[in-house]
Amino acid sequence: MLSIACAVAFPFYYIVVNTFKTQQQTSESPLGLPTSLNLTNYKNVWDNIPVLHSFENTLRVTVLSVFLMLLIGSMAAYGIVMRRTRASKRIHIILLLALAVPFQVTLIPIYQFFVKVHLVDSLNGLVLIYSGGAIFCYFLIQGYMLTVPYEIIEAARIDGCGPLRMYWGIVLPLIRPVLVTVGIFQTIWVWNDFLAPSIFLISPSNYTVVLQVYQSVGQYTTNWPAFMTLTVLSLIPITVFFVVMQRHIVSGLAAGAVKG
Amino acid sequence: MVSPTPGDHRPPAGRAVVSSNNVRQMAAPYWQRRRLWVLEVTRRREQVTTRLFILPLAVIFLGLFALPVARSLYFSFTNFGGYSSKVAFVGFANYTALFSNPTILTGLSFTLVYALGQALVVTIIAIPLAVALNRRFVGRNFVRAALFFPAVPSAAVLGLVWTFILAPISMGVINSALGAAFGVGPVPWLSTDLLARLSVIGVGVWSQVGWHAMLYLAYLQSIPLDYYDAADVDGASTVQRFFRITVPLLAPAMTVSLVLLVVFGLQVYALPLALTAGGPGYATYTISQNIIQLGISNAQYGQGAALSILFLIMVAIVLLVQVTVLRRREARLR
Repeated sequence: MLSIACAVAFPFYYIVVNTFKTQQQTSESPLGLPTSLNLTNYKNVWDNIPVLHSFENTLRVTVLSVFLMLLIGSMAAYGIVMRRTRASKRIHIILLLALAVPFQVTLIPIYQFFVKVHLVDSLNGLVLIYSGGAIFCYFLIQGYMLTVPYEIIEAARIDGCGPLRMYWGIVLPLIRPVLVTVGIFQTIWVWNDFLAPSIFLISPSNYTVVLQVYQSVGQYTTNWPAFMTLTVLSLIPITVFFVVMQRHIVSGLAAGAVKG
Repeated sequence: MVSPTPGDHRPPAGRAVVSSNNVRQMAAPYWQRRRLWVLEVTRRREQVTTRLFILPLAVIFLGLFALPVARSLYFSFTNFGGYSSKVAFVGFANYTALFSNPTILTGLSFTLVYALGQALVVTIIAIPLAVALNRRFVGRNFVRAALFFPAVPSAAVLGLVWTFILAPISMGVINSALGAAFGVGPVPWLSTDLLARLSVIGVGVWSQVGWHAMLYLAYLQSIPLDYYDAADVDGASTVQRFFRITVPLLAPAMTVSLVLLVVFGLQVYALPLALTAGGPGYATYTISQNIIQLGISNAQYGQGAALSILFLIMVAIVLLVQVTVLRRREARLR
C-alpha cells in the first residue's frame, strides 16, 4: 500500500524537489534530492509574479462566495423545513432540477448579461456566479435540518421566539456540523475553479491563483524549476486548508455515505 | 337528573349534546376572542416571514438557472450574433449546423469517452483500494491522505504539472525513466491522438481515484462484520467474499460515485485544456471548450446556445438513465 501511495504522490515529490534546483540540475537529475536548500527560485518567482495579490483575490472571492452560499442555502432550507406544505414540496423539486444544470449551459446568457451590467472582469461578478452554489448547499443543509428534533423548535416557539431569532439563534447553531462540511467542499471548489475565472476575468490584477498559474506557464516554458516553484507556492494555502480540515472532510464523506 | 354512577360524565341520553367546551367558547368575553385573533394574526405573520426566507434562493434560481436556460433555448432557434440588431428565427438550423461541424463531433465524442472511461477505471480501482485501506497496516493514515490529496489542488494546475512529467525531452521524467530502463525513444504521450486521449483519462483517474476510494471506504465501514464471519464459517474464499458480499453491499455507494463521476466527467474542461490544450489538433477537445469557443470567443451565440441545450439534454438523459439503472441494481442486490 505504501508503494501505491508513493506512486500516487510522486508528482508532488517531483515538483517540490525541483523548486530547489537550478535549470541545469533539473535536467541532469530531475528526481534526485536537491544538494542544497537553494531558495533563489522562490525569490525569483515571488518578485516576478504577483502571487500574494492573486491569493488576496482568491481569498476574497472564496470567503464572500462561501458565506453567501451558506447563508442563502440555509435560509431557504429553513423556509422549506419549517413549513412543510405541498408548495414546499413543489419548490423543493423545482430546485432539484437546477442541480442538474451545468454552468456551461447558462454560461452564454450570463456572460451577455454581465457584459451589459459591467460585471465582466470583476471579482464581485465572480462571487455572484458562485452564489449559484447555494442550491447545492440548500440540499445538503435541508437534509440535515430535517434531523433537528422538532421539540426544540416547538419549545422555542412557545417561549415566543420569532422566525428570525429562531433561524439565527437556534437552528443555525444546531446545524453547524453540516455548515462546516458543505463550507469545506464549496471552499475547495471555489478556490480551485478555473472555468469561471478564465472566462470572466480579463485584467491580470484580478487573476485568481489558478488563473495566475495557468497564464504564467507560457512565461516559463523553458525555465521549469521556476514554474514548479510557482505551482508549489500556489498549492500552499489549499494544502494547509486540507491538512487542517482533513478530519471534517472524511467525516463529511462518511455522513454523505450514511444518508445516501 | 342524577348520574347512574358517580364519575360517569357521559351526557344522559335523550338530551341535546352540547359539549361544555363549545359553550365556554361561545360565551367567551370580547377580550378573550380578541386575544385569540391576535394570536392567529401573529401565527400567520410568522408563517409569511418563514416563507420569505426562501426568497434569496428563489432569486438565484431565477437569475442564474431558469432565465439563462430559457434564454439559451431562445437563442438556439435564432441567428443572434451579438452585433447585428436584426434577430431572426432560423428553426433548427443551428442544431443541424452543429452536427456537420467536425470540431464539435470530436468534442462530443471525446467528452463521452472521457466521462465513461474515467468513471469505469476509477470504479474498478477504487473499490479494491477501499477494501485494502479498510485493513490495518502501518502508516494507514498517511496512505489515505496521500491517495486523497490529488483531489485537493485544481485540475488546471495538476494538468500543467503533468505536461512537464510527460514531456518528450529529457526533463520529462517518465520518458527519461523509460529511456534509461528500456532504451526506448521518447513516447509522444501528449502529441498523438490516441496517447493524448489516454493520458488525459489517466491523469483524470489519478486525481480522482483516492477521493472515490474514500467514499467507498466510508460505506465499507458500515457493512456489519457478521456477514464476513458467516462467509468464513461457510468457507468462502477471499475472491468470493469480495464479489458476493462487498460489491453487492457497496451498490448504494456505486450509485453515488458513478453519478458524480459521469456528471462531472461530462463537464470536464480544465484538465484537458491544461494538459493538451485540446490537441493534438482537436483530439482532446471537450464540449465545454466547444461551447466557450462558439458562444464567447466567436460570438456565434445561436450555435453556442444550441450546443448548450443539447448538452443539457445529454446530461439530463445520462443522469436519468444512471439513476434508474443503478437504483434498480441496488434493489435487486438487496
